[in-house]
Amino acid sequence: MNSLVQRFDTNNALSEIKRTSAIIEEDGDNVSDLMWGSYGGFGNLATGIPKFNIPAVPDPSAFLRLHTDDHTDPSCRIKIQHGTTTLAFRFKGGVIVAVDSRATAGSYIASGTVKKVIEINPYLLGTMAGGAADCQYWETYLGIQCRLHELRNKERISVAAASKYLSNLVYSYKGMGLSMGTMICGWDKTGPQVYYVDSDGTRLKGDLFSVGSGSTFAYGVLDQGHHWDLSDEDAQELGRRSIYAAGHRDAFSGNTINLYHVKEDGWKFIGNYDVSKMHYEGPGDIPGAPGHGYGYSIRTAGKSSADPPTS
Amino acid sequence: MPQTRSFDPYTENGGTILAIAGQDFSVIAGDTRQSEGYSIQTRYAPKVFRLTDRAVLAVNGFAADGNMFVKKVKQRLEWYRHAHAKDMPLRAIARLIQTMLYAKRFFPYYVYNILGGIEEDGTGAVYSFDPVGSYEREACRAAGAAQSLVQPFLDNQIYFKNQVPAPGTTHPAYLSLPDVLSIVIDSFTSATERHIEVGDGLEIYIVFAKTRDLQDFETIRAKNVHLIQELTVAEDGERIFVLRRDLKKD
Amino acid sequence: MSIMEYNGGSVVAMVGKGCVAIASDLRLGNQALGISSNFQKIFPITDHIYLGLPGLATDVTTLKEQFRYRVNMYTIKEEREIEPEAFAHLVSSTLYERRFGPFFIEPVMAGLTKKPSGEYKPFIAASDLIGCLNFAKDFVVAGTASSKLFGVAEGLWEPGLEPEDLFETISQTLLNAVDRDAYSGWGAVVHVM
Repeated sequence: MNSLVQRFDTNNALSEIKRTSAIIEEDGDNVSDLMWGSYGGFGNLATGIPKFNIPAVPDPSAFLRLHTDDHTDPSCRIKIQHGTTTLAFRFKGGVIVAVDSRATAGSYIASGTVKKVIEINPYLLGTMAGGAADCQYWETYLGIQCRLHELRNKERISVAAASKYLSNLVYSYKGMGLSMGTMICGWDKTGPQVYYVDSDGTRLKGDLFSVGSGSTFAYGVLDQGHHWDLSDEDAQELGRRSIYAAGHRDAFSGNTINLYHVKEDGWKFIGNYDVSKMHYEGPGDIPGAPGHGYGYSIRTAGKSSADPPTS
Repeated sequence: MPQTRSFDPYTENGGTILAIAGQDFSVIAGDTRQSEGYSIQTRYAPKVFRLTDRAVLAVNGFAADGNMFVKKVKQRLEWYRHAHAKDMPLRAIARLIQTMLYAKRFFPYYVYNILGGIEEDGTGAVYSFDPVGSYEREACRAAGAAQSLVQPFLDNQIYFKNQVPAPGTTHPAYLSLPDVLSIVIDSFTSATERHIEVGDGLEIYIVFAKTRDLQDFETIRAKNVHLIQELTVAEDGERIFVLRRDLKKD
Repeated sequence: MSIMEYNGGSVVAMVGKGCVAIASDLRLGNQALGISSNFQKIFPITDHIYLGLPGLATDVTTLKEQFRYRVNMYTIKEEREIEPEAFAHLVSSTLYERRFGPFFIEPVMAGLTKKPSGEYKPFIAASDLIGCLNFAKDFVVAGTASSKLFGVAEGLWEPGLEPEDLFETISQTLLNAVDRDAYSGWGAVVHVM
């Protein structure tokens, strides 16, 4: 009887909450009851697959494109940052991951300190190219799913499975306007692994990838310096030198280099290097480094008419 | 004839916001002009909001989206308070803002957010966001109409970029509060001179860590009693003050 | 794609106490690709005038030669060196000749004018790409980093700078502005008169 009364009573606290959340629901937000209780504050990640607010127009992706795509319309309001160089390669000592740190909006350098390597968990790294928020959000989400896999199966997820999870996920949003080009890197039972995953749904296994506006410059250095039997030091130097090349020539890449090395026991952050400092001074007295700047001016100084000797 | 009209729910309301993190304080500022095109809609529309006793959020871009977003963040923080009987920590607010922005990935809030405040370890912090939720912790950040005017000035004055310390000396690791405040005021007066969408008024929020000695601030406060207002009640926790100043109105 | 951003580059000029300074970056690019780190954009016109030409690189070369020709003709006809004010108007009329098919250049000038007393008075000016002159009393900027230059210059510049301080002010202005511009950088040059 009491419960029956309660159900139709419009003045108790429970129905008050139900009514409020019904209003909020109409508002277009996805506020579940879980946000009220002890889950309060965990965002839409707490409730499984997140839901997204969609504009009520016939073609939502055309709407998004109209307001965010700065390739077709440079004056559009919401600028999604782009321009990047990222690379990852496999060798006998594991995986080297190297990225730059520049974010541009038009000609303006919005940031020179972007973290383009996303630490998914202690064994998996993801790189960021394309939409920064897309990469950050979905690779964080991937981290949650990888941890759930560990808890359910009592073993770590393979790089192949993790990358496929991400690939299938972004494929389900195909055509909606997601933009990501990422490399999922790690070490599992099968050894060091690199997978390229992008928002078109491409998923490729490979030894060596570079993604972004400066990738052609990075490939130039990477291709000629890469082989399987590289020492750890030489491999790290190759990653650093390749990103430097892109940072130097590509206007949309640069500022600093972030270098990571994935080994059997997980990834390790090697260092952050200023591209200008690399040009003039090099990475300093560390194994594998040339002992001088990467810039070629020191090799041409005083040896050509364009750069004549100073008496 | 069938006609189609494109759905254009956004506009740009100008203005600029800026935040700088110190060792044990954080400064978050914004001008108060709200404009559309060449017209000024109002000379006083706040863009900086207190969220908790140790978190302040500045929003810039489309004012309607910005105000709505702040309202929803405040609501979520209140729910958190009811559930956990404490304020949400700053880094958690940052992540909350990411998920809230990304939830509208396909119908974005046209808002650039800068979150400033005090971290749980007592350090000053600034988090900056893009409209769809990518974020990063930084020491200083400018956003909005005059971002490209202010940010390089901040690089020079806060990060000492392109400056070489005198032989035998180093750049200070953290700037003092008086230095930060004068840099903020200079940034906004400069932006007011050269950008039509910036001006009218300036609101500077200052958040202090629990442990901080407020002696240097009290000196400034004594000289500007009528300009400075305290927003916090308890004197033993983090404290927030707001300094309001005029900017040129032409 | 904006044609003003095709090659990149920026120039700034500032007034000091009995002195002027003009500075530019050295980048020549092909959109995002950096081509040269030694591309001259500031040219000496007379012993007392420098001219900065940021914009489309092909027009930098063309205009540089055009101005050399016209200044030489002026010197021969008038039998005296051109004054900065007169040169500014020469720049303006040269650009306005191409009103409907302009050179994609926004010139910046810095010079010293000789007063009857024998003193030198600092002079700076800038123009848009069709010759509208701007005689500023403090500083002028142009190029892909112009908004960044405005911001830093407005913060750092003050009246009555001595040559050493003017050098530091213009150098810091240029360096910090181009570091926030994708199309400028790759070295810099500063002239103080």
